[in-house]
Amino acid sequence: MLEVKNLTKIYNDGTVALDDVSFTVEDGEFLVIIGLSGSGKSTLLRCINRLIDPTEGQIIWDGKDVTSVKGAQLRNLRRQVGMIFQHFNLVNRSSVMNNVLSGRLGYVDPWKSLLYKFSPEDRKKAMESLQMVGIEDQALKRADELSGGQQQRVGIARALMQNPKMILADEPVASLDPVLAHTILGYLEKLNLERNITVMCSLHYLDLVQRYGTRVIGLRDGKLVWEGDNNAIKKMSDAEFKNIYGEEAERVSAGSLTGGEV
Amino acid sequence: MASRKIEVVEKKNLVSPPVAVIISVLFPGLGHVLIRKLNRGLLIMASIGTIIGLFLWRIDLLAHRETDFISQYLKALSRKGFFIGFITLAIVILWLWVARDTYLHATRKKKGGFALFAFILVMFFAIGWQISEIDLKKAVTKFPDAWPPLSKILWPWEAAFTRATEELSASTEILIGSEDQGPPPIPVEEPGKPYLRSTPNFGKLSSLDENNNVIKGTILHLTGKNFKPNTLTQIWWFDALGNEFRPRQDGKYTSVTTDDKGNFEYDLVMPYRLIPPSAEGKILNKVEARQVTEVGSLIPADPLKLTFSLIIETIFMGMMATFFGIILSIPISFLAARNIMKGSWVTMLIYFITRTVLNIIRSIEPLIWALIAVVWVGLGPFAGIVALTVHSIAALGKLYSEAIEGIDHGPIEAIQATGANWLQTIMFAVIPQMIPPFVSFSIYRWDINVRMSTVIGLVGGGGIGFLLVQYIRLLDYKAAGIAVWFIALTVSILDYVSAEIRNRFV
Ligand SMILES: Nc1ncnc2c1ncn2[C@@H]1O[C@H](COP(=O)(O)OP(=O)(O)OP(=O)(O)O)[C@@H](O)[C@H]1O
Ligand SMILES: [Mg+2]
Repeated sequence: MLEVKNLTKIYNDGTVALDDVSFTVEDGEFLVIIGLSGSGKSTLLRCINRLIDPTEGQIIWDGKDVTSVKGAQLRNLRRQVGMIFQHFNLVNRSSVMNNVLSGRLGYVDPWKSLLYKFSPEDRKKAMESLQMVGIEDQALKRADELSGGQQQRVGIARALMQNPKMILADEPVASLDPVLAHTILGYLEKLNLERNITVMCSLHYLDLVQRYGTRVIGLRDGKLVWEGDNNAIKKMSDAEFKNIYGEEAERVSAGSLTGGEV
Repeated sequence: MASRKIEVVEKKNLVSPPVAVIISVLFPGLGHVLIRKLNRGLLIMASIGTIIGLFLWRIDLLAHRETDFISQYLKALSRKGFFIGFITLAIVILWLWVARDTYLHATRKKKGGFALFAFILVMFFAIGWQISEIDLKKAVTKFPDAWPPLSKILWPWEAAFTRATEELSASTEILIGSEDQGPPPIPVEEPGKPYLRSTPNFGKLSSLDENNNVIKGTILHLTGKNFKPNTLTQIWWFDALGNEFRPRQDGKYTSVTTDDKGNFEYDLVMPYRLIPPSAEGKILNKVEARQVTEVGSLIPADPLKLTFSLIIETIFMGMMATFFGIILSIPISFLAARNIMKGSWVTMLIYFITRTVLNIIRSIEPLIWALIAVVWVGLGPFAGIVALTVHSIAALGKLYSEAIEGIDHGPIEAIQATGANWLQTIMFAVIPQMIPPFVSFSIYRWDINVRMSTVIGLVGGGGIGFLLVQYIRLLDYKAAGIAVWFIALTVSILDYVSAEIRNRFV
């Protein structure tokens, strides 16, 4: 269980990106975060694996406060949390295999890994991860030779290498077309259901939110303004919707952008 | 439909149009300023001021001795009529043009307009032509002068190879003086060996009278035998001290061609030689007949051998300089990368200082660094390496730091998120991104360094350039041509190789 308590993040330039946000995520949930651009979704996700240090508040994971862990403990936290990015963040010039293997870096002997040496078991696991996302035949290609959808699958395979208890996905499908979006989210859902991996995912398309999320939280200007389960989001009133996305927002269906996002 | 007047708020002129024109005639550009065309006015003032200044300077150079301006101007006009006349006319036209421009702008009949400045540009061009002493006529008419050295440089290969030579010679001694001093023995003829005898084998050397007229010496009848047939044979003279020289007869070096049997006859006038005052008693000189023939196959001549060894030196100079440059610039490049140094004001200060120093070092040409290095570590390749290294550090430091600034932060974040430590993040996310620009810039620099090391010898920094200037100073254009060819060859091969490597890596 992940408990976020009174989380606040103020950037150095004074931007308040998160403002007293509190919520809980049960193990095995598929939590979707919605909100306008700039509402703090990325900031929230990055606070959880501590790519960003929160200014105030607590993040308690399995009863342990991870807000201020450092060094080896921090790396230990991070390796249990896979992360998937909007722009995939693969190392373009490295092979697909090396990108996937880099997911093991938190587990292996640091000195050996510096020479790109990985054990046969790790390599086998990497092939299995690639199989799981259906691109094992691309293993030896350079990452930037792959299509966007394939690159995101490499991203998922890399996260899988971490044996994650939780996956953070920051707009994983925002730079992919809608058909691919379902494929990618399908993989996340599969991991969520079959391996009981908790997923926290920020999304823009409302139909995707309704289809995949078991629970949804809405952010606006860094504040938590909405929280509900899958049923609640389907029944979300216009007033609630506008509360999240602003007055000008229009509710649009399947495949197009939700209001406000230009 | 109600028409709405578009109101353009225009600041009022400070003076009326006629006044502006008059002021402009008195002081070009000031009129524009007063009708609130500040930029145009200042630009006109600066241009006309500069043109007149340059013009006066050229006049002064052309007529240095004259004292008052009028006579200076007339003298200059007589020496460079076309140029002085043209600029004078252009200044007058410009003056009137500016006045007209003032009027048009003052009465709002015109806005902007670039023709005036185009005209100013043409004037600068004309003055520039004169200052830089461009002389196309000379370049064409004097071209034949360039041809002899140029042709030798373009096709120097006769000087590249030689053959070993073989010498065949025989000599006989000559007594300076009269017969009663006892002439030397006549050499004995041996079969198969070249043989030379002289009749007589004594006599008087040529000498000079009070009016410096030559008084011819005794004529020696030389008989040679057993030489190579039909071959040019040189006649050499050895004085009492053993100094050899080749006498001239009728303006030509003395020589004779042997007949079918290898024999010759030749009449040699005893040459003019000073007899050392210390010489006492019997003075014996020597005459020698000598055949020099080329034997064997072609072998590389000295210029070729030297060029080859110095080309190798050059390539290695470039390589060593690049190597040191890379090693030293890598740490420096981090100090000059904004994204690395933006943490605090202290690091930002270091960043700015590093950048500035790098820029200064880079803006000083390697040739000038070589001059400094020669003073520092002495003549030779090491000075060249020092010079090129210093320049490489600055150039590479800048390029590398820009590569560092350009790296994508995304992969770094992703690798950190897997739980990797700092070193692992560098190895997996930073280094792969850095390799292509680093390789590409390093090879590019190697290319530049080898090219630079071919000229750095001009100032004593070692390498092929050193040899090249020496050959040119000795007017040995063929040898220089060999060096030039090798430089061209090396540089183009290197160009090709570096392009290939870059394609593979990037
Ligand atoms: N490194 C930073 N320094 C200063 N301000 C930042 C930084 N990163 C983000 N912000 C600001 O914090 C706020 C929240 O940003 P965040 O990236 O979390 O929004 P988001 O919801 O992910 O938006 P998007 O949907 O566009 O990705 C924004 O106002 C943003 O400008
Ligand atoms: Mg974001």
